[in-house]
Amino acid sequence: MINFDNSATSFPKPLRVQNAVTLAVKKYGGNPGRSGHAISMQAAERVFEARETAAKFFGAQTENVAFTQNATFALNMAVKGIMQYGGHMIISSYEHNAVSRPVYALSKSRGVEYSVAAVYDDDDATVESFRKLIRPDTKCICCTAASNVTGRILPYKKIAALCRERGICFIGDCSQAAGLLDIKLSDGFDFICTSGHKSLYGPTGTGLLITNGKYPLSTVIEGGTGTNSALPEQPAEMPERLESGTLNTVGIIGLREGIRFVEERSPGRILAHEQRLCQRFIERLSEHKKIKLYRSEAPHLPIVAFNVGDMSSHAAASYLSDKGFALRGGLQCAALAHSSLGTLSQGTVRFSPSIFNTLRQTDMLADVISSM
Amino acid sequence: MNKTYIAMTSITYAMKAREMFQRSGIHCDVIRTPKNLGSGCGYSIAVRTAPEKAIPMLDAAKIPHKSSYNV
Repeated sequence: MINFDNSATSFPKPLRVQNAVTLAVKKYGGNPGRSGHAISMQAAERVFEARETAAKFFGAQTENVAFTQNATFALNMAVKGIMQYGGHMIISSYEHNAVSRPVYALSKSRGVEYSVAAVYDDDDATVESFRKLIRPDTKCICCTAASNVTGRILPYKKIAALCRERGICFIGDCSQAAGLLDIKLSDGFDFICTSGHKSLYGPTGTGLLITNGKYPLSTVIEGGTGTNSALPEQPAEMPERLESGTLNTVGIIGLREGIRFVEERSPGRILAHEQRLCQRFIERLSEHKKIKLYRSEAPHLPIVAFNVGDMSSHAAASYLSDKGFALRGGLQCAALAHSSLGTLSQGTVRFSPSIFNTLRQTDMLADVISSM
Repeated sequence: MNKTYIAMTSITYAMKAREMFQRSGIHCDVIRTPKNLGSGCGYSIAVRTAPEKAIPMLDAAKIPHKSSYNV
């Protein structure tokens, strides 16, 4: 099976990630940050190293990196932490359910009001659509850095500048972009939320919530942190404030190696490789009238959304699976984005390569799709 | 050798402080907080220097800390 579903989670993982996870299971079995004995401290040292690695990668202070289960947890913690006392917020029309569902839930439970900013091919028009929706009570803008459906890169630096100008908190869903674009807090994010298991090549069950510390978050989960245990309230200090319960030490150790793998190659080089594959894929499929590609001239991550005639995207993905290719059909958990694209009923098939895919594999897939 | 024990607000800050001291050539260990430095769970650092030197270094690096004692 050849995997072109790396936007869901990258696979295979780099050898160094595999080895680190194996070593973690064998050697670092203590509960980090809970005891003073050597087994616990050794695990804590590895977690701290991973925190430092992630902090350097995203330009953050070490303590402002919180490990989460995935990007969805990180986004829930950030959005609900900022908005739980109500107010207005803005999201984009390209959001994943990891953003749109928590926001919808807040609108029902906490009276949060929200607006959806349209995304256009022209970046300035997109920024303007956000600007027009800002109200005096707007507390936050939360948007994806790049769509998980089409790969469309949003003008997140310009949106960040707009937030700074208006004194609004900016939360970025960087799940697809982290590891491919040089995402940094200095781009203007107040919070970077990302999965660790996609283009950062860590194991599943890993995510990151990274902050510049400007907006202290209300907590959505409280519990044991290994510190100040006599007190009834959750500690105020990061990262413990957001890290209740035992950490996923094995996943975190694997994630560190994933980030180092990306650092050594550089996000730019990985991006260039995957863009070459996408370019080839698009060139091959553009020859066929029955193939519909959902691509504009605007900047995109290496993701290609397509359909084969009127065939359901699920059926197309299932056919390709039978032929040995893993691609994802349907809505990719992003109904809002599909609504914007006009593909809510058909969905799309998503081609998303990783650093481990090749031009030959891409040609093999294109051959099969061409014959459909 | 002068040794200062400083209770820290978290293990992350304790390890960050250790790195900062070690970069300055000052030996520092992260330990479980001794009973006389606080109640409940927590981590401290044991720094081989006087508190008059250690505490300002933590403050300059914006690393929060709690109580301390010197032996």
